[in-house]
Amino acid sequence: MDTFNNFLNGTVTLFSDPIGILIFLGGVVGGMLFGAIPGVSMLTLAAILLPFTAHLSPEHGIMLFSVIYCTGVYGGAITAILFNIPGAPENAPTAFDGYPMTRNGQAGKAVGAAVMCSALGGTVSAVIMMIATAPIANWAIRSFGPPEIFALVFFGLAVASSVGARTFWKGWLSILVGLLIAIVGLDPVGGIERWDFNMPYLLAGIHFIPAILGFFAVSEIFVQAEKKVTGSYRAPELSVDFPSLAELIAHKFAVIRSILIGFFCGILPGIGATLAAFMGYNEAVRWSKDRSEFGKGKMEGVISSETANNAATGAAMIPLLALGLPGGALTAMMVGVFQMHDMEPGPLVFINSADLVWVVFSAMFFANLSILLIGWLETKTIINLLRIPFQFLAPLILCLATVGSYAVRGLTIDIIVMFIAGVVGFFLRRSGYSLAGIVLGLILGRIGEQTFAQAMQMLHFEWSGFFGRPIALALLVAGFATLAGSIYGAFFRRRH
Amino acid sequence: MQFKKTLASTGIVAASMMLGANLAYAACATDGLPASMDGPGGYPERALTMIVPYGPAGGSGQVAQAMAQAVTELTGVSINRDHKPGGSGTVGMTAFMAAPADGYTVLEHIDDASSAHALDSGRPNPAEDLVPLVTSQITFSQIYIRSNEDRYTDWASFVEWVKAQNGKATIANVSKEGSMERVTMKFITDATGMQIQQISFDKGAPRYGALAGGQVDALFEQPGDVRKFLDAGTFKPILTILKDRPGAFAEVPALTDSGLDFDPLFRFRGFYVHKDAPADRVEWLQWAFQKAFCQESYQAFNESKFMNLIESYRDTAGSMELITNTIGQYRDVYKEMGLEVK
Repeated sequence: MDTFNNFLNGTVTLFSDPIGILIFLGGVVGGMLFGAIPGVSMLTLAAILLPFTAHLSPEHGIMLFSVIYCTGVYGGAITAILFNIPGAPENAPTAFDGYPMTRNGQAGKAVGAAVMCSALGGTVSAVIMMIATAPIANWAIRSFGPPEIFALVFFGLAVASSVGARTFWKGWLSILVGLLIAIVGLDPVGGIERWDFNMPYLLAGIHFIPAILGFFAVSEIFVQAEKKVTGSYRAPELSVDFPSLAELIAHKFAVIRSILIGFFCGILPGIGATLAAFMGYNEAVRWSKDRSEFGKGKMEGVISSETANNAATGAAMIPLLALGLPGGALTAMMVGVFQMHDMEPGPLVFINSADLVWVVFSAMFFANLSILLIGWLETKTIINLLRIPFQFLAPLILCLATVGSYAVRGLTIDIIVMFIAGVVGFFLRRSGYSLAGIVLGLILGRIGEQTFAQAMQMLHFEWSGFFGRPIALALLVAGFATLAGSIYGAFFRRRH
Repeated sequence: MQFKKTLASTGIVAASMMLGANLAYAACATDGLPASMDGPGGYPERALTMIVPYGPAGGSGQVAQAMAQAVTELTGVSINRDHKPGGSGTVGMTAFMAAPADGYTVLEHIDDASSAHALDSGRPNPAEDLVPLVTSQITFSQIYIRSNEDRYTDWASFVEWVKAQNGKATIANVSKEGSMERVTMKFITDATGMQIQQISFDKGAPRYGALAGGQVDALFEQPGDVRKFLDAGTFKPILTILKDRPGAFAEVPALTDSGLDFDPLFRFRGFYVHKDAPADRVEWLQWAFQKAFCQESYQAFNESKFMNLIESYRDTAGSMELITNTIGQYRDVYKEMGLEVK
């Protein structure tokens, strides 16, 4: 009852203040816009706004950032679905099936599914956040150290080996290529230089955003351009139909599963929405009766990815508010907003600034709900961009992708990486390799390598140490079982 | 050259290392500098660019933002921050060295630039290849444990407990090869005879979460970065890595109290311009960045980061001395550690 009363008080405080309402709406729209433009992400908007939050009240400043976080994670889904350009890494799995849906004339359904499920995932996550922030945060940091996170990554890679590839072996080769790219640069634990070819810029590693833009957006332009030249190009049919309620209810298990996965990934410090989206998608594949349909325009893929990444937003606020541990770059900036007002997130916030906490909780709840309304409007309007003829749309996408690649770090090498990934991706797609697998290997490889090295240090370089950590052991066993099942399936299918 | 004389005098202020924690900044290090200074020949005619070799949310990003704001308040000149993270600061440094040496591009960097040069002389020497405009943050490190820890409660019992674990005890830090943290830990383990496994976390949140969640036994960190955990009573310091106790941590033993005889290494952050930039522009930048250190907004920022516990200010000469001494200190240790010093 206290929780509900606190929520009501937070809501009244939020909506009884005209300035607060304006800031809320500005955050909702700004987050969606910046989330939708590749490279220019919600982080860009947050970095621009950070100094100005000093002139806002603490409630308004923190609320603005939390709203941007919710809608920014959703915003990148639109370009992922319509143009195969994920606005942010956490929207990359959305493109796996969202863009094929667009090509199949189901853009409206894909965007609609993303809208509904982003709102649902985020809202449920916000509710859980309100109910049990402190105990969940304490459980997460006690139960999940580097060995558990490494085991989770291993499990994720084992599950994902079949996504988008023509055969099991090509799926694993794709993931291994991604892992190989991930080790370019300084090693994340010892700082040892690897594969830099004496080029200082390579010491920073291959950033996954230019790689994603190259593999998805640029290679897609090449594919469509080839079709245009050979006369087989077919413009995607326009459709603004929302998915029906029955279609969404049919995916209820995928939604519930993705909420749990997203929430779980979100509460782990330093992990967040990207891993959540990939894990949500991977689990959808694993539980599916026909995995071969994924990557070809299956709505469940969009649902799983978008539910999970938005479910991570509320969860990521839990370690931030309860323990002062930001889960990612945007929540780290929120720490900056707190500090500008002589406050520190952590256990004392609930005691010293309970009003602020509940305004933030309420704002996140309503920001996720507002995705429904604005998303519906977007479905009816932005989809019309697909009417632009390919010869005009392609250069526009190429420009956006180039700007997006450069904007990440201001390095020319990122543009080069994007074009190389585009060309390589074009040929790999024809050969049945999985671009999703490469991207997955690249993103999870970084996390996996770091947590593996940390785990081995913690376990004093003894493999048997994993046996003493039940969660890590369970995840490793599940990963190996999945792997063994896939290998058996690959041989079995070949023989029959 | 009244300004140069004034700069020299500020070095005297910088020489006084220790300040009490409660000492208010009634008189600030650069109060003696002129209140205003015209740029040479209308310089700067456009906004400056500040290359920051780390992301916007970390310690460097925050100090860059605070200093840029203070310089703009003082001079009215805008500063665009260009974050180029990666390679432990190498990417930002490379981009800075490639930028025109016209005084329009400045660099924020930390002591990693000094240790990188100490390990590989092919890397730029911040005291010779660059002109330090100001060092605006200098801080010390501490060892922390959980406040509710009952296996050990202070430095003496911690050392005893670690020795009993035969190398199985763990401490979270940033233990990359040649880092300040690893070198300092070598000093400590050599002096105490204890063996402890260092777990390297390159980001703060997982590092602090590892201690709070009981994944590791201790944490090596600077007080400003864990201030919220100290204020909340979650962590407590058991060793201050300074020769003597600062006022704010009067209850925590320092090196001398603990019988540890080594010169502590500091974490420091400062701002630089290319050595080939026109001298008159460099002089104006020195004035702007040093004077900005005493702007109210910057002082408030430093205080919030516990950067007022020891003297956090060095002018150009003081910064060069600090960097040169640090490089020498790192070189000696690297050789002792058997690392290849190029």
